[in-house]
Amino acid sequence: MGAGPHGLSALKALLQNGIEADGFERESDVGGNWNFGAENSRVYESTHLISSKPFTQFPDFPMPDSYPDYPSHRQVKEYFERYAAHFGLRDRIRFSSDVVRAVPVDEGRAWDVTVADRVTAQETTYRYAGLVVGNGHNWNPKIPDYAGRSEFRGEVIHSADYKGPEVLRGKRVLVVGAGNTGCDVAVEAAQNATHAWHSTRRGYYYNPKYMTGRPSDQVADSLLALRLPLGLRRVLFKASLGIAVGDLTKFGLKRPDHKFFETHPIVNQQLVYYVGQGDITPKDDIDRFDADGVVFTDGSRVDVDLVVFCTGYLVRFPFLEQDWLNWKDDHPQLFLQMFTPSFDNLVVSGLIQPDSGQWTLAHWQGILIARVAEALRVRPSVAHGFLSRSAAEADRRYSAGAHYKDSTRHYFEVAHQDYLRALQDAIHELEVSA
Amino acid sequence: MSTGSDRRSSTSRNPLRRKTVAMRPWDWSFPSAPVSHREVISAQPAEPTGRPPLLMVHGLAHAAWCFGENWVPAAAEAGFPAYAVSLRGHGGSAGARHLRRTTTRDYVHDVLQTITELPEPPVLIGHSNGAVVAQLVAERYPLRGLVLLTPAPMHSAVGDLVAIGKDRPADLLRAVVGQTLSMEPDILFEGLDPQTARTYSDRTGPESPLVQWELLLRRRVGPIRCPVLVVGTPEDRLVRPADVQRTADTYGVEPVWFPGMGHDVMLDAGWEQVLDTVLAFAADLPAWGSAPVR
Ligand SMILES: Cc1cc2nc3c(=O)[nH]c(=O)nc-3n(C[C@H](O)[C@H](O)[C@H](O)COP(=O)(O)OP(=O)(O)OC[C@H]3O[C@@H](n4cnc5c(N)ncnc54)[C@H](O)[C@@H]3O)c2cc1C
Ligand SMILES: NC(=O)c1ccc[n+]([C@@H]2O[C@H](COP(=O)([O-])OP(=O)(O)OC[C@H]3O[C@@H](n4cnc5c(N)ncnc54)[C@H](OP(=O)(O)O)[C@@H]3O)[C@@H](O)[C@H]2O)c1
Repeated sequence: MGAGPHGLSALKALLQNGIEADGFERESDVGGNWNFGAENSRVYESTHLISSKPFTQFPDFPMPDSYPDYPSHRQVKEYFERYAAHFGLRDRIRFSSDVVRAVPVDEGRAWDVTVADRVTAQETTYRYAGLVVGNGHNWNPKIPDYAGRSEFRGEVIHSADYKGPEVLRGKRVLVVGAGNTGCDVAVEAAQNATHAWHSTRRGYYYNPKYMTGRPSDQVADSLLALRLPLGLRRVLFKASLGIAVGDLTKFGLKRPDHKFFETHPIVNQQLVYYVGQGDITPKDDIDRFDADGVVFTDGSRVDVDLVVFCTGYLVRFPFLEQDWLNWKDDHPQLFLQMFTPSFDNLVVSGLIQPDSGQWTLAHWQGILIARVAEALRVRPSVAHGFLSRSAAEADRRYSAGAHYKDSTRHYFEVAHQDYLRALQDAIHELEVSA
Repeated sequence: MSTGSDRRSSTSRNPLRRKTVAMRPWDWSFPSAPVSHREVISAQPAEPTGRPPLLMVHGLAHAAWCFGENWVPAAAEAGFPAYAVSLRGHGGSAGARHLRRTTTRDYVHDVLQTITELPEPPVLIGHSNGAVVAQLVAERYPLRGLVLLTPAPMHSAVGDLVAIGKDRPADLLRAVVGQTLSMEPDILFEGLDPQTARTYSDRTGPESPLVQWELLLRRRVGPIRCPVLVVGTPEDRLVRPADVQRTADTYGVEPVWFPGMGHDVMLDAGWEQVLDTVLAFAADLPAWGSAPVR
């Protein structure tokens, strides 16, 4: 279920390997997050990729040479449309079909999936031998609560509803959070609002899109290809940022409270620039709201008209029982971020947030799903042997040695090379015994 | 002509086959440079037939024209959407200026780019060094089928080079110092009239020295899960029959031999029979997405 990149690549991998499969998608088109304006889409007018083409794209369906290093969300959507058309996926997907419920039947040997047609509101239940969930984890807004929030007379939105800079014009805007969304919105506020304040609860590293004339993730991947250890990569990255930008505290930004690779990377060259121009004023964490503005933890206070919470998203599966996904600490803990100890025939694809592009990983998750499905059919003992590790390895992290900062957004953070190697090993394990 | 087309090699026990490769760090960090223009010669059947598209990839110093001459129109006539691409630096494609820096990886990129522009997954047909490119594509992309015409060996062409050196030492020397392998008419053709053979030979162009040297490497491929057809000729003066046989062994299939033909089986007299064999193979492939589970 889901026709975002993860749903599409899983469907393709299953069909490619001769396994019958259908797709269900709530929207009338493919693209998921990149289907601008759709209910679950979280891209805004200006969104471009922050990861460059080579690792972001599906390895068996590269983006066209005519695309730039960092394509726009429109190009990305068009790319997924072409992928779906090329592999004949459209005919296998039922669009405008909302999965409202999925329940195991026949002692867990099958799943009854209840789907509501978005046009007729009619519900139909289908039975499948297995279920692949690809509903995305960037759609359900996380909105922190603060004292005095109900008194505040200004406007409050979450970035989930931010589609473009019109809402910022002529307003005094406070942006909360410094994920990639928060940084983008702060920059657009600098360009469009009367003034922008940017509240963050820690300091960060702001990575450029280019280094030495190459996309910076490609530079980072060269260091990985050379198998440089984490410590050395940290030194090199810090040094290059040190030369390009220098000490951020001189601009009034906070000093990072963590080492490189311990938070999900920010890729944004403009934020520091606008801070330097005085169009963005960095602020501490919010302490409380009052009627006209916000008080920060350092005691300072500003009047604002609009607060944009760019505080990220919390994972939810409204159509499944949480217990079935080994739910702990408000999130699922799954073997390889995919397989639950509760069922052999329930898989989640897309429960990852890589420090690089995502769809190479989506592709290999799909291939692994197909290998497991094949094995379940023709060599059940091999499949069960593999899946029996689900409980023991559910909390294994793929961080390449880094300790991610404790934050809800890091539940699914993976170091892309570490995680992909684990997927490759898993695929080998199932291939060798095939 | 002998046939034998066991569809898939059964296992990865063969030493030349290897396991799935997901980790390609050099491809991610140093991707092939984009090309501004790619020549694709194509022809469509008069009406849709439901047959898979065929994409043809030329070998050293050739270009799309070598398939455009006979195969592309004839395949379309027989109901197959047919395409032939010129790799960068060849024929009408851009990249001639950078040819000396071009590597096989760039050719793989060019073919993958061309595939993504097709309406559905194709049968990929590679000739000579184009067969090397095609095999490298096949381990990355789920082809409908793979056809290897007088394939240059993936297990190293040192033997072929030595053989060339015995016959024509000057050619060997030229290739070793980085000049393009000789594509004289008598090397490529057996049955063509001399004038046509000369015309074709004159149409060949320069080749990247790096790509020629790469042929000496021993590469392992795989896994390739699509059906494979291997075509050879006993008279081939560039790729020894033993090497064609060995390539076929890698996939657990028997080569189909065309005695009396030269290396360029898509141009030499008798190209129709070779094409017929290829089209019969392509017509017989299971629809994409409907292959039974192995
Ligand atoms: C603003 C933003 C920018 C990003 N930029 C990058 C980037 O530069 N590079 C990168 O690699 N990644 C980026 N990402 C990550 C991106 O979200 C993922 O790469 C990818 O889109 C996730 O794919 P998915 O298929 O898991 O989920 P989604 O793309 O969210 O797709 C999920 C699909 O499931 C459907 N669905 C959900 N629930 C149901 C239901 N109950 N019934 C039926 N259908 C349902 C939805 O409608 C949707 O189509 C970005 C994310 C955001 C939010
Ligand atoms: N291609 C693009 O241009 C682009 C644009 C936007 C987003 N994205 C991607 O989309 C995904 C989501 O990004 P996102 O920026 O929306 O969300 P995010 O990465 O989850 O960032 C949330 C931010 O809010 C902060 N935060 C969370 N809870 C908080 C709280 N209770 N109080 C104060 N601050 C809090 C976080 O701080 P901590 O540091 O403490 O966690 C973090 O700075 C990411 O994978 C991102 O890379 C890409």
